[in-house]
Amino acid sequence: MRCATVRKRLSDDLDGTVPSGRKPRLEAHLRTCASCRGYRQRLDRIQAAVRPPAEPAAESWASFERSVASRLEPRGDEGRGDVGAPFAARRRWAWAAAAVLILAGAGIWYSLRRPVTEPLEVWASFDEAFDPLLGAAEADPELAGRVDREITASIEEMTPASDSDADAAVLLSSDPLFWEGLSDDELRGVVAELETDLGRGGPQ
Amino acid sequence: MDERPEEGLVEDARRGGREAFAELVRRHERRVHGIVMRMSGNSSDADDLAQEVFLTAWKAIGSFRRGSSFYTWIYRIAVNTSLTFLKKKGREKNRAPFDETIAVAGLSPGGTPSPEGRSDLNELQGKIDEAVAALPPHFRASFALVVDQGLSHADAARVLGCSENTVSWRMHKARKLLQARLKPFLEEARP
Repeated sequence: MRCATVRKRLSDDLDGTVPSGRKPRLEAHLRTCASCRGYRQRLDRIQAAVRPPAEPAAESWASFERSVASRLEPRGDEGRGDVGAPFAARRRWAWAAAAVLILAGAGIWYSLRRPVTEPLEVWASFDEAFDPLLGAAEADPELAGRVDREITASIEEMTPASDSDADAAVLLSSDPLFWEGLSDDELRGVVAELETDLGRGGPQ
Repeated sequence: MDERPEEGLVEDARRGGREAFAELVRRHERRVHGIVMRMSGNSSDADDLAQEVFLTAWKAIGSFRRGSSFYTWIYRIAVNTSLTFLKKKGREKNRAPFDETIAVAGLSPGGTPSPEGRSDLNELQGKIDEAVAALPPHFRASFALVVDQGLSHADAARVLGCSENTVSWRMHKARKLLQARLKPFLEEARP
């Protein structure tokens, strides 16, 4: 389980939404990851120290109630407007942004899956480019170790740490209500993260 | 005190019953005040906003759907009213962006105690209040409902009109921002 997934679940755990069946894996990760243990300790301290917002003095409530009562106007059928969901005005934009993201994802997926158009010799020469390095590594155990670690890290970076991590990511991104609920700022943040992940970001 | 179940009070209020509505105000005023207080950040604005919430509810109670939860409905009005207020005052626009790399002003881990001589816990609580007040409004709304009011993600989602995933994600992001901002203090002030 990755640290990012663990930290999201630690937040869910504080709110009581982590199923008991998933807790053993969470605890197993915490036993081996000092960074996530520290993160949980800080979250716990914050959670324990949060106090409810200051309330008016007890005697103020009667005055509050009188004030509300005195301002109630006679009511007809007019003015019985519906109460919309917060951020509802942004929904149309959210759907449009979600559609753009989905299309962008589909485009990237297609570009990765489509048949390779480059001549095979290009790939062959690319592979051969590693030959000198691998040859040198055979003669140098320290270099061999570094190459091995680099290749392992690259593979890990490209592969979800577990099926459940991949499932969680897919579930979240395929939930249309998740995208719909995000504000403009949040959507821009997601786009920026995607661009960074895909190497398309950078100074404008 | 009116002991009637809430459904009956709502039904009377829908027909114009002021006494029934007054009882609904009494039952929900503290929680509504808590939400608008967390959202607005000061008691003077919170008092006005809480009144506005109930006046809006009185005008709109005809649209309340039978069988729905009254508290979900009134919380939604509280969040909407607070957001409109913040937008009008332009506070969010002028507010400095939340920078998690900057520790909360006044934090002095390992330094001299504050002049007021408050305990570490009181000081931490004050810093948490400041940090929560600096969260983006949609994160703050989720925080107010889930942490302050103790709502589940599902109930908070019903109030905010979004999915549980969105609430979960906002809570994670809010906590990440808070812990990053308070990290120096949390680590150094540990007894």
